[in-house]
Amino acid sequence: MSEIDTRESILKVDHLSMYFGKGGYVKKAVNNVSFDVKKGEVFGLVGESGCGKTTTGRTIIKLYDATSGSVYFKGQRIVAGTQGYKDEIKALKQEMKSLGNGADAQKRMQECTARIEELKQEIAKAKKDHKHCNEQYRAQALEELKAEYEPKIAAANGEAKAELEKEYHKKCSSVKKQKLITKIQMIYQDPVASLDPRMTVKEIISEGLVIQGEKDKEYIMEQVYEMLETVGLVREHAGRYPHEFSGGQRQRIGIARSIIMKPELVIADEPISALDVSIRAQVINLLNDLRKSMGLSILFIAHDLSVVKYFSDRIGVMYFGNMVEMCDSEELFAHPLHPYTRALLSAIPLPDPAQEKGRVRIHYNPLVDHEYSTEEPEFREIVPGHFVRCTQKEFEKYKAMRQE
Amino acid sequence: MAKETKLKVQDLTISFKTASGKLQAVRGINFDLYKGETLAIVGESGSGKSVTSRAIMGILAGNAIVEGGKILYGDKDLMKISEEEFHRIRGDKIAMVFQDPLSSLNPIMRVGNQLTEAMLLKNKASRRENKRAMNDMFSSIEKFMAAAGDGETGKTDIATFRKFEEKHCELEQEYQQSLAYAESAANLAENMVLRIQNKAVAGIKDDTAEVCTNAKKACSYFVVRAEEARLQELVIHILANEKEGRKAKDYTAMIPQLEELQKILRNALAYEKPDTFSVGYYLTYVEKTVPDMPVAQLNALAADKLNSEFMDSFLQKIEKAVKLSIEQTDAHRKEAIAEIDKAIPVLQGTLEKNDATALAKHLKEKIILCLNPLEVTKDSLTHTFDTSIDYAMKLYFEGIEKNKAEEKRYNSQKAKYDRIAAKGKAPEWEVIPASYVDLEVAQQDIVGIVAEMKPHFEWQLENNRNGDLHKRTMEIVDYLKECAAESVYKISKGMAKERAIKLMASVGIDEPRRRYSQYPFEFSGGMRQRIVIAIALTANPDVLICDEPTTALDVTIQAQILELINNLKKERNLSVIFITHDLGVVANMADRIGVMYAGKIVEYGTAEDIFYAPAHPYTWALLSSVPDLNTVETLESIPGTPPNMIYPPKGDAFADRNKYALEIDFEMQPPMFKITDTHYAATWLLHPDAPKIELPQIIKNRIAKMESNRKAEEQQ
Repeated sequence: MSEIDTRESILKVDHLSMYFGKGGYVKKAVNNVSFDVKKGEVFGLVGESGCGKTTTGRTIIKLYDATSGSVYFKGQRIVAGTQGYKDEIKALKQEMKSLGNGADAQKRMQECTARIEELKQEIAKAKKDHKHCNEQYRAQALEELKAEYEPKIAAANGEAKAELEKEYHKKCSSVKKQKLITKIQMIYQDPVASLDPRMTVKEIISEGLVIQGEKDKEYIMEQVYEMLETVGLVREHAGRYPHEFSGGQRQRIGIARSIIMKPELVIADEPISALDVSIRAQVINLLNDLRKSMGLSILFIAHDLSVVKYFSDRIGVMYFGNMVEMCDSEELFAHPLHPYTRALLSAIPLPDPAQEKGRVRIHYNPLVDHEYSTEEPEFREIVPGHFVRCTQKEFEKYKAMRQE
Repeated sequence: MAKETKLKVQDLTISFKTASGKLQAVRGINFDLYKGETLAIVGESGSGKSVTSRAIMGILAGNAIVEGGKILYGDKDLMKISEEEFHRIRGDKIAMVFQDPLSSLNPIMRVGNQLTEAMLLKNKASRRENKRAMNDMFSSIEKFMAAAGDGETGKTDIATFRKFEEKHCELEQEYQQSLAYAESAANLAENMVLRIQNKAVAGIKDDTAEVCTNAKKACSYFVVRAEEARLQELVIHILANEKEGRKAKDYTAMIPQLEELQKILRNALAYEKPDTFSVGYYLTYVEKTVPDMPVAQLNALAADKLNSEFMDSFLQKIEKAVKLSIEQTDAHRKEAIAEIDKAIPVLQGTLEKNDATALAKHLKEKIILCLNPLEVTKDSLTHTFDTSIDYAMKLYFEGIEKNKAEEKRYNSQKAKYDRIAAKGKAPEWEVIPASYVDLEVAQQDIVGIVAEMKPHFEWQLENNRNGDLHKRTMEIVDYLKECAAESVYKISKGMAKERAIKLMASVGIDEPRRRYSQYPFEFSGGMRQRIVIAIALTANPDVLICDEPTTALDVTIQAQILELINNLKKERNLSVIFITHDLGVVANMADRIGVMYAGKIVEYGTAEDIFYAPAHPYTWALLSSVPDLNTVETLESIPGTPPNMIYPPKGDAFADRNKYALEIDFEMQPPMFKITDTHYAATWLLHPDAPKIELPQIIKNRIAKMESNRKAEEQQ
């Protein structure tokens, strides 16, 4: 991937796949999807329902165990699927069976065995990463702390030394409770269903902190009040129950719940789809403010293209589990290349009767629009920063189209 | 061209009884729906749009109170007709597409069954109803014939008529069913040929059996008569070939036979329709078997026999009866007019409950006599006089009781308040002001209902004076024929299936034959919504109400569904009420738009009016809170939430959230101001004395952009 944006990427999704079902029927909900989210950026994920947007979000936050591929968060591998390696081993074993005798075959055999060993190690490593990413993160953080404090402690003496040691231990114990995954938080689609009706707003918002092992009640209350004010509610709301709030306010509570963990990445799964028009603008504006004030990166999943256009820096378009096009939002709307993206853009309703009545919708039919029988499509870069899933032949075509 | 009004809503007011008080959901809205147009109703949730649509369908929740207003469909007021009459309108004439395709389909029933369920049930009900209508008509004819002097001959004539009418129905049904079977077999054969060519042979065995049985059933005298032998032969061949094919896993041998079968059946479908009425007579009274001759010739022969031997004299007798019936009812009408003239001054004076009820009863008796039993089109105004006057009376006298109770409550509360205030304390509560039922309006209603009967009767008298008796007679005979046919017209499951499959194809579902036997969970959201639309269309309605049909769907599917509704509207000349909160969707669909807020229509106009020259601040707010593809600046959100309609605000309901609100907005509700002939808005900003306020910048920019776009397009 070429870097046109020099910002560090906070989330990197690498050939992620998520399959459901066992035996003969496999539903490829997410198939070989790669993208990255830069620090402080809003990355929009769009596509029709059932295309795997939500599954992608949920796999990243480890609500599902990925089938294959990996997700890196702040450089640490947090999700690692093993199916890809297993498939490769299977293929190699098949090949070994079919190999005959002879010098070449012997050599190939050795190669294969070596590769299988390598892959098995990969699997072990992936499993370890997937399961123990938090421990690794903690160990790393502890080491950093140690590196920071040890010279200081060694240099100091007397009371100052005891003080420093005390601080060091306190920090260590808090780090030991931390989980890396809590730095990614999620905002759910339906503000009514995602809040427990039997918990007060305070309990809902503080739940994450409590689970993390925070016992200081004063600190918790302080945090809850701060979050309520950040999202535009008032302190008095803390003692109430969710049903006393309107849809927009409920969605604000959902947002407060996710930002209290001081996340660096928020996955917003259709946060405005269930809201009324007049409330939508309130929530979008709030998310925009938070992003600026807290330096959040947001993975914004939605199907309303005009909102995605307004809100996102870059956009990925998904179709049936595959990412078909990815680029800057301006670029996407100015030069859509993949036929599905064009179909999608042609379907956006606009508040202009004259234009609407004369609108020609582009239909997308993958069987007609693509010729994939001879060559599997790949994700290729047409112009810097603009990726499209296509075959070599289509690649040439899109390139010519883009230059026009 | 004057537009035909399909549906007219006048001053509709609906509230709901809830635990915490009376919630005013709809507060006096007015709109017309013209034939073949789409009216969009836009608003937030809780603005009363769905309640309005449910009132039109007559499916309001149990705790709803209709406080006033009319919904006129044709000449009927849907708020007043009986439930039984509503059955004939709901679903048949006015159909609804619900919001959530997930919850409006039955998850444990196959889609096909859900589509055919209503057809089969409706058919059963209509058979029963038509039979009753036919018998009623026969007995009234008999009565009047006896009164006109041919009692005995009339009786035998009617018996004769009934007997061959039965034969007619039998023939008609046989014919219709054979046609349906022929069509079904032809369609399926065509489908099978395609599948065999494409090697998609799963389920061919069952289909072969279906084709063969249907083809056999299609063989009747009128359909496929010449080629019957060939058809039977083909069926045997096809069955044998299918067996062979199953062994060899190659069905191509069946193709030529299937094609021939299809051709024969398609030819049969184009044959001339037999005149089953005359032929029925011929077969009952002239000859027992069908003579071997072409259908056209047979039709002529049978019609000739029927007219010369029976029909002419029978028609004369009916004509006499009709004349008599008209004379009688006209006399009744004159009497009724006199009664009405007498009653009106009494009703306009002070009303005593007992006297008024007695008078109403007397009037009802007189007016019910004015219904002519030998009239084919029922006189609905006279028909519903009963229920209308009862309802109006009830409102009036209950209103008196209510007012008394209210006064008592108010007085006691006031006294208590004064007592506490006299002691020098300020009570924490306030006296709720008394709200009385407007008795004057209720009385006006009663008088109006009675008074409108007089010109109605006078008009009927005038009509009868210049009426054409022969035409009336023919109408009766046609009506009897139709009733008889309907009363035996049985939709078999096979026929319903064919119709359902046709409908599924017309709403754009691929492979409807395969999809027919699937469950709703096997369909995607958009496909499910199509099924819901297909179900709404089964009865061929004139008015389709779509309650947020695309809100649960995503953009591409939404665009498909909108296109589908638009196409269906054009094809069937439907009138559509489209309810949504998404203005983008509205721009695509609507001819006219009503913007609703807090139970009122605040702006009303054509789509162009609303989008290019919005006048109400709420419309501005709605337009500016939606980003379009060029929006970069911060969105203008509407602060706050809609008001609680248990305590509706005194002034303009939107005033609290409105940054352009004037002082008067908090004091008084604005009336509808007329901007152009088609464009109305309820805001004080349009008052001549109001300060001039510019459109918000964001909308201004957008409109300017839209205009420049349009100009650019025109130039091209």
